[in-house]
Formats: sequence, C-alpha cells, structure tokens
Amino acid sequence: MNKKPEDIKVIIATDCGSTTTKAILIQYDEQKKEYRQTHRGEAPTTVEAPFEDVTNGVLNSIQELSELSGIELLDENNRIIKNRSANRGCDIYISTSSAGGGLQMMVAGVVRSMTAESAERAALGAGAIVMDVIASNDHRLPHEQIERIRQLRPDMILLSGGIDGGTTSHVVELAELISAADPKPRLGIGYKLPIIYAGNKDAQQNVRDALQDKVDLVVVDNLRPVLEKENLGPARDKIHDMFMEHVMQQAPGYKKLMSWTDSPIMPTPGAVGAIIERVSQMNNLQVVGVDIGGATTDVFSVFINPEEEKPVFNRTVSANLGMSYSISNVLAEATLPNIARWIPFPIDERELRNQIKNKMIRPTTIPQTLKSLVIEQAIAREALRLAFLQHKSFATTLKGVQKQRTIADAFEQTGTEGTIVNMMNLNLLVGSGGVLSHAPRRNQAAMMMIDAFRPEGITILAVDSIFMMPHLGVLAEVHPKAATEVFLKDCLIYLGSCVAPVGQFKEGKEVGKYQIDLPTGRVEGVLQQGEVKLFPLGVGQKAKATFEPSGKADFGHGKGIKFDTELDGGVVGVILDGRGRPLMTVPDDKKARIEQMLSWLENLNVYNMTELRKLGQAV
Amino acid sequence: MSGHSHVRNGLPVILIAGWVCLACAIRAQEPSPGALPPAIQTMIDTTAPIAEPVVLRIAPPALLAAVDAPNDAGKAIDLSWTVSPDDRVDGGVTAYRVYRSKEEGNGFVRIAELAAGTVAYSDRVQQEDSAEEEAPPPDAAAPAVPTADESHPFEIGVPYYYRVAAVDTTGYEAFSATAGPVRSIPQWYHSGKTPVLVLVLVFFVLVVVLIQMAKIRGADMYIRPIAGISEIDNAIGRATEMGRPILYVMGLGAPEEIATIASYTILARVARKTAEYRTNLLVPCNEPIVMTIAQETVKNAYMEAGHPDLYSDNMVFFVTSMQFAYVAAVNGLMLRERTATNCYFGKFYAESLLLSEAGNIAGSIQVAGTDEVAQLPFFVTTCDYTLIGEELYAASAYLGRDPLLLGALKAQDYIKAIVMLVIFLGVILISFGNEIILNLVTVNL
Repeated sequence: MNKKPEDIKVIIATDCGSTTTKAILIQYDEQKKEYRQTHRGEAPTTVEAPFEDVTNGVLNSIQELSELSGIELLDENNRIIKNRSANRGCDIYISTSSAGGGLQMMVAGVVRSMTAESAERAALGAGAIVMDVIASNDHRLPHEQIERIRQLRPDMILLSGGIDGGTTSHVVELAELISAADPKPRLGIGYKLPIIYAGNKDAQQNVRDALQDKVDLVVVDNLRPVLEKENLGPARDKIHDMFMEHVMQQAPGYKKLMSWTDSPIMPTPGAVGAIIERVSQMNNLQVVGVDIGGATTDVFSVFINPEEEKPVFNRTVSANLGMSYSISNVLAEATLPNIARWIPFPIDERELRNQIKNKMIRPTTIPQTLKSLVIEQAIAREALRLAFLQHKSFATTLKGVQKQRTIADAFEQTGTEGTIVNMMNLNLLVGSGGVLSHAPRRNQAAMMMIDAFRPEGITILAVDSIFMMPHLGVLAEVHPKAATEVFLKDCLIYLGSCVAPVGQFKEGKEVGKYQIDLPTGRVEGVLQQGEVKLFPLGVGQKAKATFEPSGKADFGHGKGIKFDTELDGGVVGVILDGRGRPLMTVPDDKKARIEQMLSWLENLNVYNMTELRKLGQAV
Repeated sequence: MSGHSHVRNGLPVILIAGWVCLACAIRAQEPSPGALPPAIQTMIDTTAPIAEPVVLRIAPPALLAAVDAPNDAGKAIDLSWTVSPDDRVDGGVTAYRVYRSKEEGNGFVRIAELAAGTVAYSDRVQQEDSAEEEAPPPDAAAPAVPTADESHPFEIGVPYYYRVAAVDTTGYEAFSATAGPVRSIPQWYHSGKTPVLVLVLVFFVLVVVLIQMAKIRGADMYIRPIAGISEIDNAIGRATEMGRPILYVMGLGAPEEIATIASYTILARVARKTAEYRTNLLVPCNEPIVMTIAQETVKNAYMEAGHPDLYSDNMVFFVTSMQFAYVAAVNGLMLRERTATNCYFGKFYAESLLLSEAGNIAGSIQVAGTDEVAQLPFFVTTCDYTLIGEELYAASAYLGRDPLLLGALKAQDYIKAIVMLVIFLGVILISFGNEIILNLVTVNL
C-alpha cells in the first residue's frame, strides 16, 4: 500500500469468521472531518466444502456493502475496485481471519512460570489459540511430551527458554524433543512446520543443529533476555509473518485473498487485541475487553504493571467457556447454584439442565421467551466471571525477579504471584459477543458485565455494536487515526458509568452520599448497602458528581474520602452499585434471593418486570 | 520438755495461786507492776514452787488451725493462728514457738521459733539440700528463722498435734489450745494449676480435631501463604533459566537443633525441585553430622523426584567447622560458581550478614529463615524473602502438607490466638478494676 493516510477516504474491511464473513465500510466525512463506519454486510464463510475458497464469502459480503451504500465496490470480474473515483471503488482493503479454527499454536519454554509463560503470552497476544505448553518442569515424561506434540499437530510452535547467557542444555533438550516428535502441520501437505525460536541466544546454533533439517526454523530475539524483562514484540511480529506465509497459504482461497489485501491478514483475536492496546495507549486508559463466543471467551486487558509502571497488554482464551458449544462446561465449572443465584424465579434443576444441554446441541438457537433469555444471561454472567478469573491469574507480574527490601518490609513480604489486574484502576470495560452485543436491552448487557467483572470505583461500560473490533485492529496497522475514531464513535456503544464502592457493608447501612448534576436536574441521596440505582444520562452527555463515602467505603479516592468527578453517560445511564466489593452474597433462602434479584433488576430496568413477576408466580 | 506436760495437770493450782495473788494485791492496795487481767490465761514454769504466786504476763495466740497443705505431695502441714493480744509494737510478745507431737497430751517438741506478728507456719519435710544452703545473715528486721529440730523430722502420713506458744521477754510461753490430729496426705490433683490443665486440654482437643480435619480435607486446609516458601520454586526456576547452581546453607547449628531439623525439611523440598528442574545444587556444611544427614535428605529427594541419576555425593560437602573460615569458603563459592539462588535456613550467628551481603552483591535471589531473632534484620535487608522466627518451623507443615503437621500447626495458631485474646481482655478488664480473667488464669504453684 503506497497511499498516504490523508488520501485514504474509503476503506473496506472484512473479518472471515468460522461461520460468517463480516464486511464493513468506513468513509471519511468531509464535513465533519472524521472517519465513520457507514455500512455493514454479512455473508456465510466459504472456506469449507463445497466452495473451499474463502474469497467467495468475502465477495458476497462486499457485494452486500456495495448494495447498501450505493458505491460500486466490485468490478465486472468480481474484483475489488481499488482506484477510487466518485461513487466507485475503495482506497484500501484489509482483512482478518479466524476461519478454520484460527491460528493454533504450541509453545515451549524451560520453566513453566517463566519463559514458557512468556512464550504463551506472546502467542496469545498474536491472536493464537495455545493448544499446549511444553516445559522442562511440566511433570511429563519426554515420551509423553513427544506424543502430545504429534497428537496436536499445531500450525506453529514457539520455542523459548533461557535468558541470554543462561541455560542451553534445557533449551536444546526441548529442541530435541520437537525434533524427535517430527511434528506435521495441521493444514497442507509437503510443507515444513514453522517453528520460531525466541530463546537464549547462546543456544541458537544448537537449536539450529537439532531442528533445521526437519522444520522451517526462524530465529528471533529472545523474548526473555533477562528475567526482569519481557521482549515479546519480535516473537509476536514473527508469528504474524509466519501466519501469513505458511498457515494462510495453506487455507483454501487465502492465497488469493492475501493478494487483494493492502495489509497482512491478521488472526481475528490478534486484531482485537491490537485495537484495544492502541486505544488504551492513545487515551491513556486501562481497559478490559471481552469477547464471549459460542466455544471460547477471549479476555483482553491493558493494565499498568505496578512494578515497572508501564502498561502491559494481556490476552487469555478460555477455550472451554462459551455460550453454545461450551455451555455445558460452563455449567460444570460454575456449578448449578452459582448459575441459579442470578435467576429471579424458582426453577427446577432438571429444567435448567435441559435448557443448557439444548443450547449445546442447537448452538444457533436464540432465546424465544423471557424465561430463556434470563437463564441464558445468568449463564453468561458465570462464563464471563470464570473467564475473567482465568485472565486475572494469567495477567501477573514477572516471576523469578529480584526484590530489593528494607527493614520496613519485614512483615510486608509479598510474592510475585500478584495479578496486575486492579479493578479500581479500570477505566473502560468493553463487552463483545452475541449475548452482550445483541441483548434486547442494553441494560441487560450492563448488568451482566457488572455482575461478572465487578468493576470497582468509576468505570465506563461499553459494548461492541456489530463486532467490528477485528476490522479496526487491522486498520490500526495501516491508518491508526481512522481506526481510533471509528472505534470510539461507531464501534463502541457506551452504556454509561458504573460507580461501585469497594468494601463490605452491613445490611441496611449507608454506603455513601451522592450528588449528581444530571441535565434534567440535580439528584442527591444516600446509597444504602445492597442497593442498585440507575440515573439516565444520555450518550455523549457528562454529569458532574460528588460522592461522600461512609467510613468504610472507597469510591475510588480512598476510604471515606469525599471527591468531585465527572461521569460519562450512555444508553443506560449512571449506575450506582451499593452491593459492595467483593460483591455481597445473595441470600441462601430462595424467596429472599428472588426478592433481592427482582429489586436489583427492577431498579436497573433490566427486564419487563410485569412479565418477570408473572413468570415467578406462574412457576 | 517434760515441764510442759505438767502445765495441763497443774491448771487448778495455777488458778488458785492466781486468785490468791490477786486478792493479796487488792487487799494491800498496791497494784502489782505488770499485772494482767484475770481472764488471760498464762503459763508458769512447772519447775517453780507451786506455792509461790505467778504474775500473769502475756496472752496466748488463739484459733490455732492445722490443716494438710493443699496441692502438694503430702510433705507439709499448714498452721495458722491469730496473734496474741499482746503482740503489738509495745507489747510483750517477742516470738512464737511452734510445738509438734504425735500424741495429744504430751511429747510436744519445738519445731520452729518465729518472729512476733507471724500468723502461719508450714511444717514440712526438710529439703535434702537445705543443709547445704548458706544461712542468711542475721537481720533484726527479718522474721526469725525457724529452728526445726533435726532429731524429730517431719514424717509424711503421721498424725500430728500442734501447739503454738507466744513468748515474752522473760522467756515465758503462753500456749494456745492444741490442734490436731492432722495427717499430711499427697494430693492427686493440684487445683492451683487448673488453668494449665484447661489450656492443655483445649490444645489437645484442637490438635486431634484439626488433624482429623486435615485428613479429611487433605491439602485444602488453609495455611497463610509464606511468601518466602512460595517463592522458592520461582527462585529455583530462575536458577534454571540462568543455567546456574543453587546454594543451600544450613547454618552453624548442631544436627539436633530445631532450626537445623526444620532446615532438613526445606532442603528436601529444594532438592526435589532441583531434581525436577535438573539444576545443580550445592550444600556446603559446617558440621560433619549435619552433612551426613543432608546427604541422605538430598539423595532421598532426588529418588522421590524420579531422578536418582542426577544425584551426586559432591552436592553436599563438608567445608570446615570454624565459623569465619566457613564464611570465607561459602562466599568464595558464591562468587566462583555465580549461584543464581541462595537459600539460608537454620541457625545463624554473626555470619548471617557476611553471607547474605555477598550473595546480594553477586545478584543472587536469596531466601532466608532463622529463629535467631538478632540475625533477622540482616536477612530482611539483604535477602529477597525472609522467614521470620516460627515461620521456619511452619515451613515444614506448609511444604509437607502432612495432616499431623498441619493439624498441630493449626492448633498452635489457635492457641496463640486464644492466649492473645485472653491477654487483651485481661488487660482491658484489669484497667477497669475487674480481676475476673486474672483470677481465672492465675496459676498457684
């Protein structure tokens, strides 16, 4: 692509998913001097038989874009028109892909919690699904590790281990294991499996000797040159390159698709991570993003590492938590009582199980009744909660680093297991995926995210309107300004602000006083323990607010400290959550629990309460 | 002594003599100097002629009580009485004499002489080593030292009669009534130590219950994570990634010291991990017996980890028994081998800072633990993680997850919490003048 960014006015972006290919059109508004997403088209993905050519689906979705926008985007030969003229063609075309299972990788490192974890972080950050992590201390015997590598048949392996000047014997052992396994790639016959070596530089030659003849070995800088620092960039970039050069080349139709795009095709999750990371950097925000799908749930976060005082990006894939294929696993992991606690009417255990299993065997069905909707959203809360717990345990400070101590630390010695996810510092929480983006009421999405993620202090909530984050992620590589503008204006639907004080409070006690200057007038009052309140504040509107916490409560500025702030509005408004953090436990008594849930749902206007109460009585 | 036996038989004579004497005095209207009220019973020397009148001098002590001393092994009888009315600053009582007899009426022998004002005496078996004790210097203000008759030692289980006599300046003795018979009996239960019994029982029950809970719940039983122990794995991982050895120092303690014993447990864990990670381990020892035990510990750990082939006797070696020569050798080892991780667990003295400072300068991750409180500040400032005091012992349970150790550790923690709570409440109540908790927990030995 040779065009200057200012010459780019019309952009087509596609995301080739496993089931559908989604295309969006981004245009530059000359009057407002800004980029906006204008149209969206969708078509079934055609990577599988009988078509076996991904470009068919791409062209179909672009055709829909063309029809909706009235701009001629495809020529008579069914090729994307690149030389834009009036009402004809686009400036650039970009794409992401997760078709065919996305990028599936294995990673290997010497110590599971050190170089192997860094390698895992690099692979996940690049948008891969990490199938397994091989480490010297993973308690598996060599023949078991070899067997595993053979069984899994990954698209790529990332090998790391040892700091620069560190161990070579362990790294060479890992290389020899891979060599002995002689792994074959998942796609394509007759090409060598790509392996990226990002370990101890002193071991490079030995690794080459062990692997060069059997695999396509690429050596990059060590991703852990010293234990105190991670250098994931080179490995991550190389994963993208190898994904393009090898994996994409083998998928049906991708060679043609690659020739069309003006920027390398990115794995879908990698693109989502890229846009979240970029938005966080540009706006100095600490962000959590979640994409809950049918089979997996991806969680992305950017938090400041308190030790290095630098923002750190993390991505995790909970491969067994999802809303259709993996829904039974959500039930198994979360357990029935945890799901039932979010359901505001009595429900028979068997009925709940049946509904969950039905969803698993008919993954494309969507709830047709209020009852089904409430149950599905209760399951979503638990899936999100569990995925976020996994994310928190992965997003930690680096292990094995030295600590400098003074005598004052004698009784304050903390380990390196601490997560860097600090919900009090979270500025923006973005939800994505059908259950969140397509919830009938946005209030439902807001409530699900609050119940699952439990934001603390003041947090802006948003959902991805039409799942265009992948498109914007790849666009950010080409045109960051356009990507950021569209992300903030069209991609995100702001739900509003959640104000959640931290602390555990006694029943009926005052959590704090509030005073909010809404456009409709000032509201002030007392937030009681266990109370949830909603105040309407529209999209783009801001409201000045003053909070005066009671002694034990912390609204974000410390326990009992009064402060003034400004709250952002959204389609839902401002939510005051007096349930405390950690979140108060719902009562064990069924009747009390239902009453409690109903009061929360009513206050937040989550469902049609008349229908919901009828449902409770009918049951 | 026989003179005393006459006193009781000659009582009517005494009374008559007293009346005669009193009547003569009244008739002559010459009051006798030192005459006492007629109600006061006096003693006279039985050797004096009966016909001669006797002046009443001092009143005897009253309410003599003799009881078996409680909560002992039957080695004492406690006597108590009220002082003579003449026992005052300007009074005539100079001392009290305690008499003991195996018979009610006679055979009384003097067993002690006590200073005026004394109201109790414990007649007990003479300590074997009391003869060797040096006699205290004479002090006019101090009570008189009891003068037990060694020819009549106290015998356990024999019924005794007692009398106490008030003595005046002339040596006259005014006898109390006889008390007894009293026999000293050993007690099975020392009621003064009830608080100790209660605490022991509570501890015992807690240990049993918590061990059972540990067996049921297994490794799930919560023990507060000790950062130093949790980080040992990461420290070994660091050494592995760096391709450098791990140094384990067991201190200067003797093999039987608790800190050294705790160190063996931690060494076993470290060795298992080094075997798993296939990282070299160095254990320089200061004591030959410690070295032998450490060798066995490491050997077993490597076998348990499934890597007996990786074990070598050279991993654990003796350096020297001299403190500073040992320090010099270990410091040299750190710098030559560039150890990535140094562990110091055991008994440490002056060498603590010398070792850990050298390790710190060498850039090693250091984890230390000792029960030598004086060395803790040095470890805290130079090491990455330090196990403080009892954490060293707790580490055994933490690492081993053995139900017996876990249960005992949890029980100890609960008892500590109870003791702290009692102290806190006691201080609060005492501050308000309430001694209920103080009385409950006071041990009377």
